[in-house]
Amino acid sequence: MSIRITRFFPGIAGVLLVMGSAMAADTGDVKNGKLVYQRYCMSCHGDQGNGQGEAAEYMSIKPRDYRQGTYKWRSTPSGSLPLDSDLEHTLFNGLYGTYMPTWKVLDERSRRDVIAYVKTFSPRFATEKPQEVIVIPPDPGYSDASVTRGAAVYLKYNCAQCHGAGGQGDGPSAHELKDDWGNQLVPYDLTKGHVKCGDQSTDIYRVFMAGLSGTPMPAFSDSLSSADAWDLVHFIQSLSPGYAKNVAGTVANNPSGDKK
Amino acid sequence: MGRKGTLQVFLQFAVFAVVMFVFAAPASAIPAFARKYSLRCTACHEAWPVLNDFGRSFRDNGYQLRLGRDDTVTADPGYWPVAVHVVPTYQYTKTTNQTTDQGVKDIGSGAIADAGMDLLMAGVLTKNISFLVVPTGFASDGNVHLESYWAYFTRVIKDSDWLNIRIGQHEVDLPASGHRPLSLSDNYLLYSYHPGVPGGSNLSSYNMGENQRGFEFLGHNTTDLTRYSIDVFSAHDSLGSRNALSSPSFYGHFQKYFRFKDGPISEAEVGVWGVQANYPTQFLTSGGVPIPGSGGNLQASTRYGVEANVWIGPTVAPLHLDLVYGHGSDKKELLLTSDGVTPADRAGTWNGGFFEAIWVPPADLLHWSLFGRYDIVRNQNQPLLAAPKDYNNEDQWTLGVIYTLSYSIRDEVAFHAEVSSNKVKGIGYAGLDQRTDSIMLGVDFAY
Repeated sequence: MSIRITRFFPGIAGVLLVMGSAMAADTGDVKNGKLVYQRYCMSCHGDQGNGQGEAAEYMSIKPRDYRQGTYKWRSTPSGSLPLDSDLEHTLFNGLYGTYMPTWKVLDERSRRDVIAYVKTFSPRFATEKPQEVIVIPPDPGYSDASVTRGAAVYLKYNCAQCHGAGGQGDGPSAHELKDDWGNQLVPYDLTKGHVKCGDQSTDIYRVFMAGLSGTPMPAFSDSLSSADAWDLVHFIQSLSPGYAKNVAGTVANNPSGDKK
Repeated sequence: MGRKGTLQVFLQFAVFAVVMFVFAAPASAIPAFARKYSLRCTACHEAWPVLNDFGRSFRDNGYQLRLGRDDTVTADPGYWPVAVHVVPTYQYTKTTNQTTDQGVKDIGSGAIADAGMDLLMAGVLTKNISFLVVPTGFASDGNVHLESYWAYFTRVIKDSDWLNIRIGQHEVDLPASGHRPLSLSDNYLLYSYHPGVPGGSNLSSYNMGENQRGFEFLGHNTTDLTRYSIDVFSAHDSLGSRNALSSPSFYGHFQKYFRFKDGPISEAEVGVWGVQANYPTQFLTSGGVPIPGSGGNLQASTRYGVEANVWIGPTVAPLHLDLVYGHGSDKKELLLTSDGVTPADRAGTWNGGFFEAIWVPPADLLHWSLFGRYDIVRNQNQPLLAAPKDYNNEDQWTLGVIYTLSYSIRDEVAFHAEVSSNKVKGIGYAGLDQRTDSIMLGVDFAY
C-alpha cells in the first residue's frame, strides 16, 4: 500500500499544485472583495465608498471617504497613495478609539480582496503609484533626557495648540478643527496610552513624518529632524504608562505592514 | 403525508412565500451589538445565526473589540444592551403510526406556533468582564425562565487569551451550537439522543444542546484559530443533584482551524470533543420526591467524537460543510425498564452524527443562505437484549432557505422556509416505524 501511495503521490501533488497555481493571485479579487466589503465595511463606509454608510451619521469620528484616495495611515509621504501593505496594516490593527475594529481574525485572502475593492473607489490608484516609503531611522532609546528634549519640540512645533499642554486633546484650537470633508474633529488625547494608528514607537514617528491625510494633523517631514522626531515620540510616550517604552533603543527600521 | 398532499401543501407555501417577499416592508430594529459597534449582522454571522470567524472571536473575547469603545463608559451613550428575538412561524407536521383509542393513525396538523421570545441582554460590564442574561418564554403558558445567565472574565492572566472563565448557566462549546442552528423545526439528533427502552425511562436527560450550570475555562490564540474549552457543570435536570461540585460533569472541546491563501478551499477545521455527564441514581426522598443535593451513586452518560469543517470558496460567501461524528453511551443503571425500578440488561451504546451544508451564494448584498442537514443515529448495543438491533435508530433530514430582507446596524429580519423529516425505527404502533414530516415557514427577526 505504501508503495502505491509513494508512486502516486508526485502525481497527486502535481495536480494540487496546478490547481493551486491556477487559483493563486498576487492581487486581490475585486469581485469577491465587494462581497467582503458588503459584509463588513459598508455599514460605515457606504456602498459608494463615500464614508456615508447608514452608521456614519451617528459616529463622532466619521468613516473615511475612499474616493479621494487619502488615507490617514501610510508609510508613504503626505499626499501619496498608500501601499497595499499600509491598508493591510490598518485592517489588521484597527484604529484605536474609533469604530474601525481590528480585522485580524479575517483570513488573509479576504483582506487582500477587500483592499483591491476599496482601491476601485478612487481613480488615483489607476493612474498613480505610491511614493517611496518614509525611512525610519533607529530609535535611539527612551530616556528622561530625550523626554525633556521632546517636551521642547512639542512646544516649538505648537502641538499644544490642538493637543493641549498636557496632551489631553484640549488645546485652544481643539473645537475649531475639521477634516477635509468639513466634519468636526477632536484632537487625539495622547494620554490614553494608545495612538490611533498603532502603539509602536515607529508608528508614532511615522505619523509625525507622514501626517494624517484628510485631517488637520500635518506632516513635519520637511521641518522636523529625525532626532527631534524621536525625542517627540518619547515625550508622547511619557504621557501615559500605557505606552511601551523602548529604553534599549533599536536598530530596526519598522517598515509598513508590520503586524503586532 | 402522501406525495400529492405534500406537493399541494408545498405549493401553497410557495405562493404564500412569494406574496410575503414581495409585499414585506423593511423593519427597523436594534440588535444590541450591531447598534453598539455600528456593524451589520453579517459581520458576525456567516448566515444568521451561525457565527463566522469574526463573530466567534468577538464572543470568545467577551463581546469586546478592544479598541477603547467596549465598556459602559467608553461605549456610545446610545447603546443599551437589550434586544428581542422572536420567530413567528407556521408549521404543518404529520406523524405516522400513532397509537390512538381508534387504532393506528397518521395525524397531521398545522398552525401558527405558540412562539416564545428571547430577551437578549448582553454586554461588557467593565474591561474584560462581560455578561449575558436571557429570559426566554413569554408564550401563552405565561412561563418565563432564564435560559442563560453568566459572567465571563477574559484575559484572567495578564494579556493572555489562553485563560478566560465563564460562570453561570451557559451553552458548552459544541461542535455546532445547539442554540444557533439554521434549522428551526428540528435540532441536532446527536446532542439529545438517548438509547430507548420500550416502555421504560431514562434517569439521564442529558442534552448536549441544553445550557448547563457550571464553570467554563476557555482559551484561544490571538487570531482564534486554536481554541480549547473545558467545562465543569451540573447536568441539566439532574434529579437529586444540586450543583457542579456535588455531582460534577465534564465537557472538553479542542479545535484547530487552518487557512489557505489560495485554492478552492479557504478554511478548514478539525476538532475533538467529549463529555461525561453524571446523574445520581439513588436519592433520599421526601414524600417520594428526591431531596436536592442528596443524590448518590453517580452514573454516566458519555459522548465523545470528532468534527471537521471545510469552507469552499471565499469565506465571505462560502459553501460550508460540517461533519460531526459521535459515540454515545448511557450506563445501564440510568436505563430503567417498564417497572421504573429494574435497570436494563446492559449499557446502551450508539453512534451518530450529522452532515450539514450551508451555502451563502456570492450574490450582491448576501441576502440568501441555503442549508441542508442529515442526522443519523445507529444503535450499537440495545439496553435490552431482547430489543431489535435497530430499535430507536433515527434518520432525519432538513432542507431550508433563508432570505434576509434586512440586516442593518439596527435590526435583522429574515424569511425562513424549511422542510424536514424524521424517521424512528420501531417506536410507532405495534413496533412500526414512526415518521414525522414537517413544513415550516417563518419570519425570524431580532430587534
